[in-house]
Amino acid sequence: MSDTVKIYIDDKAYDVPAGMNLVDAAKMAGNDIPVFCYHPKMEPVGMCRMCLVEMGSIQKDRASGEVLLDDKGNPQIRWFPKLQTACTTNVSDGLVIRTNTPQVDQARENVVEFLLTSHPLDCPICDKGGECPLQNLTMEHGPGSSRMVYSDKLKLDKHVPLGDLIFLDEERCIQCARCIRFQDEIAGDDVLAFHERGRSLQIITNSDPGFDSYFSGNTADICPVGALTTADFRFGARPWELTEVPSICPHDAAGSNISLSMRLDRDHGGRAIIKRVMPRQNENVNEIWISDKTRFGHHFTRDEHSRLLCPLVRRGGNFNETEWKTALEYAANELQLAGGSVAAIAGSGMSNEDLWELRQLVTGLGGERLGAWPPTHAGADLVAQVGVGQGTNLGDLGKGDAVLIVASDLEEEVPIWRLRIKQAHDRGALVVVMNGRPTRMDDFASTVIHYDYSKAAGAFDLLQKEHGDTARQLTGAKNLVVIAGAEGVDLAGSRALMQAAANFLIESGHVGKPNNGLMATFPGANGMGQYYLGFTPEATQDIIANPPKVLFIAQADLLFDDPAAVSWLKQVETIIQLTLFAEEPVPGVTAALPIQSFAERDGSFVNGERRVQRFYTAQGPIGQALPAWQVLNRLGVQLGLGRSKLSASILMNEIAQSIPAFAGITYKALAHVEPQFPLVGGDDVYYGGTAYRNKGGLGVQIPAAADNGGAVTKGKVEKPAAIKASGGQLLVVPATRLYNRERVFRSSELVHPRVPDAYVAMNAADARKLGIENGDMVSISAGGSTLKVRAHVNGAAPQGAVILPRHLSDTPAPLAITAGEVSKA
Amino acid sequence: MSIHDKKYAERIAAQFAKYPTKRSAVMPLLYIAQEEYGWISPEAIQEVAELCNMDSTQVKSIAGFYTMYSEKPKGKYWLQVCTDLPCALRGADEFYEELKAYLEVEDGGTSRDGLFTVEHVMCLAACDKAPMLQCNFHFMENLDMDKMKAFIEEKRAEAKKHEE
Ligand code: SF4
Ligand code: FES
Ligand code: FES
Repeated sequence: MSDTVKIYIDDKAYDVPAGMNLVDAAKMAGNDIPVFCYHPKMEPVGMCRMCLVEMGSIQKDRASGEVLLDDKGNPQIRWFPKLQTACTTNVSDGLVIRTNTPQVDQARENVVEFLLTSHPLDCPICDKGGECPLQNLTMEHGPGSSRMVYSDKLKLDKHVPLGDLIFLDEERCIQCARCIRFQDEIAGDDVLAFHERGRSLQIITNSDPGFDSYFSGNTADICPVGALTTADFRFGARPWELTEVPSICPHDAAGSNISLSMRLDRDHGGRAIIKRVMPRQNENVNEIWISDKTRFGHHFTRDEHSRLLCPLVRRGGNFNETEWKTALEYAANELQLAGGSVAAIAGSGMSNEDLWELRQLVTGLGGERLGAWPPTHAGADLVAQVGVGQGTNLGDLGKGDAVLIVASDLEEEVPIWRLRIKQAHDRGALVVVMNGRPTRMDDFASTVIHYDYSKAAGAFDLLQKEHGDTARQLTGAKNLVVIAGAEGVDLAGSRALMQAAANFLIESGHVGKPNNGLMATFPGANGMGQYYLGFTPEATQDIIANPPKVLFIAQADLLFDDPAAVSWLKQVETIIQLTLFAEEPVPGVTAALPIQSFAERDGSFVNGERRVQRFYTAQGPIGQALPAWQVLNRLGVQLGLGRSKLSASILMNEIAQSIPAFAGITYKALAHVEPQFPLVGGDDVYYGGTAYRNKGGLGVQIPAAADNGGAVTKGKVEKPAAIKASGGQLLVVPATRLYNRERVFRSSELVHPRVPDAYVAMNAADARKLGIENGDMVSISAGGSTLKVRAHVNGAAPQGAVILPRHLSDTPAPLAITAGEVSKA
Repeated sequence: MSIHDKKYAERIAAQFAKYPTKRSAVMPLLYIAQEEYGWISPEAIQEVAELCNMDSTQVKSIAGFYTMYSEKPKGKYWLQVCTDLPCALRGADEFYEELKAYLEVEDGGTSRDGLFTVEHVMCLAACDKAPMLQCNFHFMENLDMDKMKAFIEEKRAEAKKHEE
């Protein structure tokens, strides 16, 4: 294949991929062409002129194609009369550039000087100082001194809030439009723009709320100056004081790779705390982007007011603080007395290592039931069967490929997947969205299909019967990825939907290869880990139906998630709770044991694409909290159920030996890195921005059963009876909001203004019938709870159903779709 | 009032009919909005954004880029006097100074009766008929202060009559 071409940079020949951007090609050849406006993830615009080079092409004889030689026998080069911008050039055979001539040096110096004519040069108080493209390129290429009179510089506003999370310093902006283009091209929220022109040009946002995007923080990373800063890190620390610790976002199934920027902090007792969360490059997972929840949702890790600081045990009617030794002895004693009826419910924030120890303990005590929390999404076993093939990269999807998103509000559930699929759509992929209501994803869809919520579990029947053309387009696609959520279905419905999705993929042969297969928006960071370690939502249902004598509740907020929990938990005799937070104790809890957050310990999660990823210890422990696995291990030792274990990596070795999916996985394997394109995170921050180079590992993707030619067969779809509303009832459909009042997010005060007040979305026709107007308080009785929330009467809900976001008020919304009464409060 | 009113429905529909996407009609719609409100008010931006199915930030950006749109409230008559070189050679500078003095306003200001906003602009391509200005985008050419005074007083009288 003639997929590479020969180009010459500073008289050396290089073979580079045909058609590649010249700046990228030079970068791969080790030549850093300075840029400001160019970014390897976006279309070039040629706005800043920093990338000027001498450019020419080798002359060939038109007839024979022979290279023409000069008198000395060297190839003849026809040079452009003027310097050209490298960023707007794609490489072609015989392209010759020079980047080290006096002319180029001069041009670079001139561009920097021009940019500095009205730049405040306030590096000593600038957040970007130390990792600033303008600072670095000025040092390298700029004139040593200024010809500008300082007082002639424009004096502009230095603290313009573009919304609650990002601040603009108007003086520093060099008008490269990277932020605007990111919002438009990559995030799809075009809420930034230039206003006015020439010397008066400024970045503005006119959205309500300002800078309304879940991805706004990324603009601060790629801004080549300190014009955009985050409310979180602003004036918080200098970049060179920070220690970077690789980690994984604890909030959703994407498993975004992050870097925790740590520094000792006076306000937190001299402890190392997270000063900021930054993206860490993993091109298969989150590229170099993270959502604002990932970036600004870390404060719970250090919040001593909300965290449980020491073990609590109940003696008589009282809850007492105590030492670990006493607490564990006490808990062990209670466990022994309670006898064999033991079960566990584990949240999706538990790491694989924690889940492993919990499993050992429960089975050691004679228990069998391992429940996954929340019990909303079924079908993790099907993701293990026909999940996206090894090597999948959503960034590869484009023309000829297709993505089907069903029963999910993807932007609210897994924003990074939404961002990446928006771009797949831009590259020409067919994106089909099926849900019972409009969602943001509709804006980036080729086809939108709305179904009646009562038929949500049968969405695939509907697709095949009533939208045959769309179904055929999907099955006929080169590659097909199905992303399923569980909106509008209960657990049985979710299973039916997942099975139908799996069958759809198997039937059309879209399994067992990269960029094909099933993904699901499991809540939390480790939904797939729960499955692989034996924790299932079906077991949770069984536990709820037949409560055991002894129940472990590990990192699961049952009372806040499920209105029914209060009543069934009463039937449990002994509850051992492992928790991050000093919440209201679960009624009847015997001992509440403090555990560490993801930032305080190491461990691993499995993301929705089955990628096992490792996070590292960043922060010192809060109070006496211990890693959950250690608490469980010590309890086991106390009960004579095994030996004490020293590290999470040893646990991973045990997991690898016992659980086939983890065969061969070690912490070392998870830490393996390979060069990725584009090369970011080096000293050349001007190229890719301040995303970090991946030094903590790219993770290992567990093969799906269908991978490597594995045989998979279709399963029977057992559709449950449709959930119907009768006699004046409406369907109450719980939905996910990214910004909510979950405990892990509550400490992130800077985002509070963006958390909506508790509301329910209603259709105008339903509202009229019930005498409800937009903005009225309404009361919703469903699934054993009554909530009072504000009615939003708009186009967000279909007739006959109301959309009730979960986790916005202290009273829990129902776990799954159900029929309920809605009335004016 | 708003440009959603019936009054403009036909004109808006006619604009949309001209282009493949609604977005393309943003500039003519901004003109209509400016006609309605006298300037591009925040409400105007919101309305045009909704009509064209765009984020209002993009609409504001366009309104900010082009000088024909005013993002500040204007008098009923928006007088844009060309003071570029060819016009200046024919006395546009003095004309502009006298006009401001007569209306008792600064550059860009609005007369106390709220009727006239004056500002100086770049070449309007009527250099041969200088001094000239455009009043609400209509050219007035070969001007002198006598003509201007007559025009101003006529409009003032009209306004008064309207009030009564
Ligand atoms: S704010 Fe930063 S990224 Fe945006 S245009 Fe200005 S310099 Fe570029
Ligand atoms: S013009 Fe090429 S990087 Fe800006
Ligand atoms: S210079 Fe005044 S119209 Fe041309």
